[in-house]
Amino acid sequence: MSLSSFLYILRRAGALCLLGAALGLSAAPAGAAERTVDPKAAPNDFLEAVANNMLDAVKADPQALQGDAGHIADLVRRYALPYVDMDKTTRLAAGRYWRQASGAQKTALVQAFTGTLIRTYSGAFTRVTSGTTISLLPFRGDPQADDAVVRTTISQPNSPAIGVDYRLERTDAGWKVYDLNVEGIWLIQNYRNQFASEINKGGIDGLISALNAKK
Amino acid sequence: MISTAPTTAKPRSRRLTARTGLALAAAALAAGCAQVPHPSPNDPWESYNRSMYRFNDAVDRAVLKPIATGYETVTPRPVRTCIHNIFGNLGDVWSAINSLLQGRGRDFVDTFGRVLFNTTAGLGGCIDIASMHGARKIPNDLGMTLGVWGFGSGPYVVLPFLGSSTVRDGSAWAISLASPVSPTSAVFAIDNVPVRNSMFGLYVVDTRANLLEADRLVDQIALDKYSFIRDAYLQRRKSMLDSRLNSSRASTADDLDNPDRPQADQNLPVYEDPDEAPAQ
Repeated sequence: MSLSSFLYILRRAGALCLLGAALGLSAAPAGAAERTVDPKAAPNDFLEAVANNMLDAVKADPQALQGDAGHIADLVRRYALPYVDMDKTTRLAAGRYWRQASGAQKTALVQAFTGTLIRTYSGAFTRVTSGTTISLLPFRGDPQADDAVVRTTISQPNSPAIGVDYRLERTDAGWKVYDLNVEGIWLIQNYRNQFASEINKGGIDGLISALNAKK
Repeated sequence: MISTAPTTAKPRSRRLTARTGLALAAAALAAGCAQVPHPSPNDPWESYNRSMYRFNDAVDRAVLKPIATGYETVTPRPVRTCIHNIFGNLGDVWSAINSLLQGRGRDFVDTFGRVLFNTTAGLGGCIDIASMHGARKIPNDLGMTLGVWGFGSGPYVVLPFLGSSTVRDGSAWAISLASPVSPTSAVFAIDNVPVRNSMFGLYVVDTRANLLEADRLVDQIALDKYSFIRDAYLQRRKSMLDSRLNSSRASTADDLDNPDRPQADQNLPVYEDPDEAPAQ
């Protein structure tokens, strides 16, 4: 390749980068208004509002943008957790062992697993930059069904997109998220063996303390 | 006569490394002959796998992780991203070939287009300019190709130094090492030995550094790291294979508009809800 053609490509690439930066800046929601979340709306509309509120909140918090886990966890608690059915998530991960647990153990287990879920979901936001965007793929399920999957991709400038899917259930209060998939890995599915082996080792209480020991 | 001294010393030192390696592997095996408390049907070799996992983890803690952490600390993020993208661009060539072998023509064309675009406008792969323009990366490998061709995955196996694999994926990896176009072959094709070794070293460090964040996360959320990583690996490989078997072009977003694509929930995990009455 001759030097002149190399320089030409370099200049073209430079122009593209500038264009990209300009677009990224104009799209960045400098204090964008919070979207209203309607759990009774269509699954995609509901989730789009929740996910974007969460993303904008991270972008607006300088410490969260630096990857501060504590700050991100606070934002997850505020913007995402109200729309998650942690009872169901925990119940499905525990499977048949759930029936062995007493009422108090169930409450403690849900609480302990909520901490794990917050850390997991926070992990997805540690690399957010001002150029990060969430886009929703077209909804492909039956809109009347009580169980739905919403597929999203998180795009970062200059790196491959990450696929994040949410599994939702229709409740009296509207849609609730109960399972999460990152790049093909469902959260509940991945915890079923974790739960079972801890319960075999130390019972339900053993599992609760193992979950709480991870902080 | 003097000139023979270095040539005799070399095989001896190589034999010594081989012997050390064997001893380490034997120690790992001996340590692993314990009972498995919670056996999984996908992992019949769990006791061997767990000891190999411990061996890899020890190597990682002692060598790879410190180097990768140092690399992450001293190298600015744009430089790291550039290096990672260059290796990723080489990997895309291999992905494209495998898409072709799987009969996924559009994946092949898309990925090949990515390589052309990123190699030129992306300055030799440094900038993933194709992703910025909506041409998603479609990862593919020979293990997937064998899966599409009908080979079962076989048991889960932890390979020395490389980690999570299955019999199928591990064999595919060994074959791709010998192929002239896999991600690492461009590095092995360099004639200048110091340059080749440095490039290979950089490849390893880049790969490891890119896993640091995931590693920190797994530390925070896994109750048993071994089975957590195993289950995640098997789930991800299965979902990758399912997406290839169920649609002609599942990896790109616009395919989801295709009405011929099966219902999204076909491969969803089925959980038994303990609070609901069992179906009669």
